[in-house]
Amino acid sequence: MADKVCLQPCLGLRKEAVLGRQALYVIHEDLLPDETVLGCGPALNANVQEDVDFINLYPVLTVEACDLDCATKLVDKKQQRAARTIRIPDLVNELKLDLDALPEEHIDIEDPAVQAVAKRIAEDVKELLTSS
Amino acid sequence: MAQEHDFKVAVLPCNGIGRLVSTVVRLAGYRIKKERPDQVVLLSSGRLAVKEPEHLAAFQKYPVLVIDGCRPHCASFMADELGKTPAARIYIADVAAENRISIAGDKRRGLTEKGKKLVHAVADKAGAEIDRIIADEMLSTL
Repeated sequence: MADKVCLQPCLGLRKEAVLGRQALYVIHEDLLPDETVLGCGPALNANVQEDVDFINLYPVLTVEACDLDCATKLVDKKQQRAARTIRIPDLVNELKLDLDALPEEHIDIEDPAVQAVAKRIAEDVKELLTSS
Repeated sequence: MAQEHDFKVAVLPCNGIGRLVSTVVRLAGYRIKKERPDQVVLLSSGRLAVKEPEHLAAFQKYPVLVIDGCRPHCASFMADELGKTPAARIYIADVAAENRISIAGDKRRGLTEKGKKLVHAVADKAGAEIDRIIADEMLSTL
């Protein structure tokens, strides 16, 4: 059984990416700090050892903001495969969130949408921990 | 017939997530684009890392300003990886030192006024670099 999951988000510019990024801070810092590591895309691309280790040591959960799947492709580029991929637009629909009501560039960590997405992704983390 | 020119700068912030400076870089990128909507193409490091065609085309077409948050200089790495020497580079620690701004105590999940002050300083420095880059491009056509 894996003891941690690597959270590897899309770090794009669109609102969905900001929502995912903020949710991952909630998971990593508040909900599951001992069960997650937070992978940085540009650092992984630059072969920063810590980020390379993360994807080699732990199952990777990629969190995508759109269907370009850049985070998943980046993990592929570094010779690993994501164990699971979550797309924020799917969660927005599932959780019935009003994306239009959220600000573009920064979403407060306490925003109910951020908290809801974080809790939902945390469920996937727990599943991965038991199944990997 | 006068030649048409498209004087823009592609801004590549690292847009990382791991550090406090990552948030500074990310918000500075938005601010730069907001202040200079007609002069700036804001690039996503995530898309560029996997060579998304639209972003790659903009990266190749325009002079590039990279903004690096922390020591690995990942945005610079990306530019080097794609075979282009940036027209300018900004490193957040340099801007913090030049402006004597400390962001100790701020958090990556959300900046206080201290962090926002550094965001503004980075955007100001980027603006000066963009002016210089565009002037250089314009003069090179004369």
